[in-house]
Amino acid sequence: MRIIFERSGGIMGLKSSLTIDLDELPLDQAETLRRIVDEANFFALPENPPTRPIPDGFQYTLTIETDTARHTVRTSDTTASDELRPLLQELSQRARLRRKP
Amino acid sequence: MHTHHSIFCITPPHMLQEIVRNGSTTQRDLALRTIVTSEQMRGQRRALKSMAAFMAAAAVSTGNKQRTIYDAKFGSNLPGTVVRSEGGPASADHAVNEAYDGSGVTYDLYFDIYGRNSIDNNGLKLDSTVHYQKGYDNAFWDGKQMVYGDGDEDLPVAERLFNRFTIALDVIGHELTHGVTQFEANLAYWDQSGALNESLSDVFGSLVKQYQRRQTADQADWIIGEGLLTSNVNGFGLRSMKAPGTAYNDPVLGKDPQPAHMKDYVRTVEDNGGVHINSGIPNRAFYVTALELGGYAWEKAGQIWYKTLTDKLQERSTFQQACDLTFEAAGEIFGTNSLEQQAVKKGWSEVGITVAGDAPSGCLSTILSAFGFKTRAVK
Repeated sequence: MRIIFERSGGIMGLKSSLTIDLDELPLDQAETLRRIVDEANFFALPENPPTRPIPDGFQYTLTIETDTARHTVRTSDTTASDELRPLLQELSQRARLRRKP
Repeated sequence: MHTHHSIFCITPPHMLQEIVRNGSTTQRDLALRTIVTSEQMRGQRRALKSMAAFMAAAAVSTGNKQRTIYDAKFGSNLPGTVVRSEGGPASADHAVNEAYDGSGVTYDLYFDIYGRNSIDNNGLKLDSTVHYQKGYDNAFWDGKQMVYGDGDEDLPVAERLFNRFTIALDVIGHELTHGVTQFEANLAYWDQSGALNESLSDVFGSLVKQYQRRQTADQADWIIGEGLLTSNVNGFGLRSMKAPGTAYNDPVLGKDPQPAHMKDYVRTVEDNGGVHINSGIPNRAFYVTALELGGYAWEKAGQIWYKTLTDKLQERSTFQQACDLTFEAAGEIFGTNSLEQQAVKKGWSEVGITVAGDAPSGCLSTILSAFGFKTRAVK
């Protein structure tokens, strides 16, 4: 499974992105991510839920690929479902911790 | 479209509103009647709404700030738990006090200088949530309230890029102004109208900071978000209104992408069409205008931009229209060919935008049209 995370907008309008290949992660981390993706019911989420841009809000584009499927979801902090939030936050943290001063 | 009775040309609305609040009973009635007549004559889009606000403002003498600060406790549920209400004691939590004090100074600028009673000009409660999510490098306006993240304050000092977002007063003024814009011009948040929306938030955010520091245009730093970047970042803020594109140049954050001139306008699909990028152009137009006029920027340049935001701009306004409408507003407030109007023209011309047709406007326009002369250029 491969996860492609992209974030744009925010008060600085900065772009941030991250690609994770679960096969390359330590086993326990891959397990955790797989569980969060399952719990988000990701492949059943609408691709482009109707949203009006929020001033200074982040916009997220999440794509997940498996051997048999590929799905993209565009969302924001104010429109993301409760189920999707843990995945968004996990990926945001990973993207943030990767950029070292 | 706007015609003006002669008395309104010489008495700015904010002065009338000041009289409504602080004058004697007779003065108050006269001023209120003037405002009502003015609104009727102008046939403005929000005549009734603003009348209600003036009446509400008249009922109290010093404005009616209603601030509430909430704590999201690192979660995403808004607004969260109340941690400080209007008049309540200071908290031990800096973010709480900064959100409280910052929204207070912002309210004061709008009320004291422009006679505006809160975001909706009708005393709307000012709600702010701090500690939104964990490691959240952002602040936003969700349509109803302000929301602030803690930046990287959960990381070791050596790894931090951002401090908490309440640390910068102009960022608080920026977010609250998104609320004002929503109730006024309601500029669509993409492409040029979105960049104007962003620019107005920077303009009034910066004016809030200058107002608190009592700085004149030449004393102000014109930086947005000073203190927000840590010393690990090569940069002094999020944006520079004075020199767009120079706020940071850092191996991790990259280089400040803002253009300072129309010839460098950035076409992109990111960031809703670069709303935080191209805002550099109208930002600098305001800076040049303010510097040209000298003194406190909130007095003249701010008044022109405020009138443009509340009376003239519309949902899909462009940079060219913002240029023409600020020029028109300056003519109405200070007179055709006034120094103020010339300063506005210069501000936009420095960023590569020329006023379309310098037709007489304001008082002169009123007088000329009363004698049957057509004065407004067709746009």
